[in-house]
Amino acid sequence: MPRLEQLAELQGHEDRVWCAAWHPTKPILATCSGDKTVRIWQATNAQDPTQWQCTGILEGAHKRTIRSVAWSPDGRQLATGSFDATTGIWEKDEDGNGDYECVATLEGHENETKSIAWSKSGALLATCSRDKSVWIWEVEEDNDFECLSVLQEHTQDVKMVAWHPTEELLASASYDDTIKIWRDDDDDWYCSDSLQGHDSTVWAIDFDPSGERIVSASADQTLKIWQRYKPGNPQGIVTPRRGEAVWKCVATVVGHHDRCIYSVSWSHAHGLVASAGADNTIRVFDIQDYDKEILTEEQIKATNEPGTLYQGVVLAATKNAHGTSDINSVAWYPSEEHGDWLASGGDDGFVRIWRIIRD
Amino acid sequence: MTTLINQNPVIYEASAQNSTREWREDDDNEDSTDPIDAQEIFDLIRSISDPEHPLSLEQLNVTQRDHITVSDENNSVLVEFTPTIPHCSMATLIGLCIRVRLLRCLPSRFKVDISVRKGTHQSEHAVNKQLNDKERVAAALENSHLLEVVNQCLATAT
Repeated sequence: MPRLEQLAELQGHEDRVWCAAWHPTKPILATCSGDKTVRIWQATNAQDPTQWQCTGILEGAHKRTIRSVAWSPDGRQLATGSFDATTGIWEKDEDGNGDYECVATLEGHENETKSIAWSKSGALLATCSRDKSVWIWEVEEDNDFECLSVLQEHTQDVKMVAWHPTEELLASASYDDTIKIWRDDDDDWYCSDSLQGHDSTVWAIDFDPSGERIVSASADQTLKIWQRYKPGNPQGIVTPRRGEAVWKCVATVVGHHDRCIYSVSWSHAHGLVASAGADNTIRVFDIQDYDKEILTEEQIKATNEPGTLYQGVVLAATKNAHGTSDINSVAWYPSEEHGDWLASGGDDGFVRIWRIIRD
Repeated sequence: MTTLINQNPVIYEASAQNSTREWREDDDNEDSTDPIDAQEIFDLIRSISDPEHPLSLEQLNVTQRDHITVSDENNSVLVEFTPTIPHCSMATLIGLCIRVRLLRCLPSRFKVDISVRKGTHQSEHAVNKQLNDKERVAAALENSHLLEVVNQCLATAT
């Protein structure tokens, strides 16, 4: 039976861990917490993933909880989103003592910044907040960040932003139960689609490696898979706006989590989906066969909705992965090299590193 | 002085100052694994002060023992409360006070759900959603002004 094996437990945070983010190319993990710090963790020996040490602490710049952390695509910088409404940009001081320094502070949100994300090219940064807005920032030289756009179509808190893996296309998830897709037309950012279907807050979203699908995690205790349909798609899904693709829910994964789902990660190494939340359990799904349950062409024509309820194949379910605590974050290692690694962070203040064993 | 939202609340008689629960054999034994029940939860929250009136949640009938569901085995607690009037703008604050009280007193293994009793508030869905959003609760508790108000309401909790 496939299972998750715990490789290491990383202790150090003094409050709940909100988010864990892998370095884009190295076996280094950044985690952030209610203790207002980010910790950087590194395997002491690349061959032995059971021994980790904290090699850096980012502190002093944020006065309140750090809700999320994200590495720039080149791994040179970290962005932190805090309840203090600001976004911090951090760099390792390679010439000096090797400590991480806050080199820029992005201000503008009216209250808590919930999530930040760098575009694949590293040229853009997106932030979102309880103030219902999503901001797009252009990364300029000398740690300057210029706000290109303030997007205000969500009607409630925006919980998370995520960039498409290759295109300059942004997805945002909200307390208003929707996911919105944002694109730009000559630097003019607009909402190209609004994905409705979840019955409660959408806490997390992640793209699959191709960028044609999104998985979303919600307080309604389901995961949904959304597929992009471009104009003239062979399935016959209607695309009402000229030249604009639409995203449709193609499967709703039900019957597993029995409380809020806070985090979801779609592996770019092997395509498995991991999710976790307030039911203390990490689940690993194989959802490759979801389309076997897709409706027939006639049914799609009748409803214009390809989606259906779907159980998914649960490969592994680790109960009490952080004891009786909520799990706020799960993240697959981003590349093949250690693609079987999964990091998790919980309300217990611990960070855990797991490995999926598939026999 | 600002106008009270509910100027003439109905006042109910509170039970005896101390716990209404009967003394049990193993109560004095700290090692005992006595399961937590609805009465115990009720005792924790009934003496919280209302944000508007110098009265307890029990005196205003905002909390009642019968509206508390506990499963010690499943680590779950559901507290339903009844705002004094259906448009009570204090409902979220009252719910937050109950949540903070239980956060501070209950073992962390418990998952606590708090909601207004069905049909007792005009913004029932919005209030419930906010009270059960852990991120909003965490952010609220980092707001020193709000925390002070919560602490004032909790000062009377025994």
